[in-house]
Amino acid sequence: MSAPLIDVDNLTIRFRTDEGLITAVENVSFDIAPGEVLGLVGESGSGKSVTAKSLMRLNSGNAEYDDTSRITLNVPGEPSLDVLSLKRERDMKPVRGGAISMIFQEPMASFAPAITIGDQMVEQLLLHTDMNKKRAKEISIEMLDRVGIKEPAKRFDQYAFEFSGGMRQRAMIAMALSTKPKLLIADEPTTALDVTIQAQIIDLMKDLVSEFGMGILFITHDLGVIAQTADRVAVMYLGRIMETGAVRDVIRRPAHPYTQGLINALPKLDDLDAPLTPIPGDIPSPLERPSGCVFHTRNPNHVPGSRYEREVPPMTEVSPGHFAALFPEDVPALQEPVR
Amino acid sequence: MLQFLQFATVRAAMALFTLLMVSLIVFTLMELVPGNCAERYLAFKNTQGSGISVADIEAEERRLGLDRPFLVRWGSWVGNVFLKGEFGDSCILRLNINDLLGDKFLISLGICLTALFLAYLIAIPVGIISASSNSALLNGSLRFVSYLGLAMPNFLLALIIMLVSTVVFGDSMTGLFSNEYRNADWSWARVGDFLSRAWLPVFILGWSATAFALQTVRALMLDEQAKLYVTAARARGLFGRRLLWRYPARHALGPIVNSLGFDLNRIFNELPIVALILTLTEAGALLLEALARSNDQQLAGAIIFLLTASIVAVNFITDIALALIDPRIRKSVMGGAA
Repeated sequence: MSAPLIDVDNLTIRFRTDEGLITAVENVSFDIAPGEVLGLVGESGSGKSVTAKSLMRLNSGNAEYDDTSRITLNVPGEPSLDVLSLKRERDMKPVRGGAISMIFQEPMASFAPAITIGDQMVEQLLLHTDMNKKRAKEISIEMLDRVGIKEPAKRFDQYAFEFSGGMRQRAMIAMALSTKPKLLIADEPTTALDVTIQAQIIDLMKDLVSEFGMGILFITHDLGVIAQTADRVAVMYLGRIMETGAVRDVIRRPAHPYTQGLINALPKLDDLDAPLTPIPGDIPSPLERPSGCVFHTRNPNHVPGSRYEREVPPMTEVSPGHFAALFPEDVPALQEPVR
Repeated sequence: MLQFLQFATVRAAMALFTLLMVSLIVFTLMELVPGNCAERYLAFKNTQGSGISVADIEAEERRLGLDRPFLVRWGSWVGNVFLKGEFGDSCILRLNINDLLGDKFLISLGICLTALFLAYLIAIPVGIISASSNSALLNGSLRFVSYLGLAMPNFLLALIIMLVSTVVFGDSMTGLFSNEYRNADWSWARVGDFLSRAWLPVFILGWSATAFALQTVRALMLDEQAKLYVTAARARGLFGRRLLWRYPARHALGPIVNSLGFDLNRIFNELPIVALILTLTEAGALLLEALARSNDQQLAGAIIFLLTASIVAVNFITDIALALIDPRIRKSVMGGAA
């Protein structure tokens, strides 16, 4: 098997603040192969956006990466790139809009309001390719057309405020894909959109993935969206991965109580009378990070005094390719006799 | 281009309408003061020792046309102001207001506009650089100079400068002209003399104005830099100066330009105190004199109207500049017609 497109190993990110060091991401590891969609799920504050931004080194200046953390980008045919070793902004070009592109949650806010969509698209192309302005404009209009924007040549000269919400996200996707990145980071790309538009955008992204053969890191808090889009999923809580595996395995047979809680908290369309069961408690303040397993303070099955209060559980394999942050004695499948 | 001309025309018409409304308000305020011009003048005469009768007042009212209805009087005042640039006679001094004001208003406006222009000329680049710089030394010293400019009252600064220049140069630097040019006709030498002295009020007014503008620019820039589109632009590979000027700086410019009209008013309001200390003869001081001491509503109205007209003019210019900077404004005014 060839090297994964992006390999995140033991990523730990802390932010220096006036209140001290705040741990946002801790010992997170994952990889994405070409053509694969990895869903990163978690509540607000789980560190999923910080993780995604670290791939492009977009976190603010007070972010500190741990010495043992590694992010390696392997673009086929090019030497692999140690992303965290990049010091100067000019050296970050390959991970910013070149091999990696990103689309954001709010399509309105992610376009500069006083620059035309076309100018922003052309600018990115000129920055990352050696094409001239005329060619860049052609490519941009082609991309707008490809993502389903009517009258792309006219739209090219318009501003973001003249687009509807769905249109803007299409344009954002067109812009992100125009440089033919190998990895697309989609940070809650459908959260701000109507449900019907959501489906269109997800379909569009799926089409484009298979067409361009790129990997996607799809960030969302919506398990339903993940079920439709991702091949594999990683569930994050307070900066740690709680459970990871193939989407079907994780959603059908969640091993970790946090994943189970997330799934139970979803409204069920087939039983509208069923009460919603939220995960008890609130996310702890990042300044008071629980010791041991970060989830133990909210785990309804937690037994006071158990080792989860003191020790960080390892990623234990529940079934092939499906891991959960549990001690082996708590993995249900491992306790059953082998048949 | 056509769209833009249309926009400019609409804005000009709106500015003209605003001016008309302002003239109505100013004129009404002038009229609201107890007693009319004839009564005040004759009351003033009375204090000088000449006796007056009701018949005198009525004769005076007829002479001044005060017996006509309100709207007619407003109409003739506005007509004279707009068409001939004439503000009529001062109520008390019985002098033509245009002669009375002379160059004073233009000089005041010139000082204020120069202070404003210099303030923004300095504040915009410095504020942008300061907002994007992490240098504690640069930001600390800028903050020190700004707060000093904001916190030190202008009259104190003026007094300090007067004291220093008297001790060091033997010239108190007061007045807008040195003695030999005070009543001379305008000539290049007089302009030179004026400029050699006018920089002082400009400097005094400009310091606090710059400090104010600098804080505004910095705050607006920090605001813009935190916006998602800047992160998105960085995510596309932009960095450094190109990112700074094309994204946050360019988008912060709109609100900065927007604050110009407001600042002109603020500077004009600060001018009289500085003018009083430096014994400048300028319109702001004249306005205070007319309002507070001699109760000369015609003169006060003329100055207020001229000041408002200047602010409306600055706002018209900033509107046009805003439209050039921000397509949202251009297109919102054009609306469906675009």
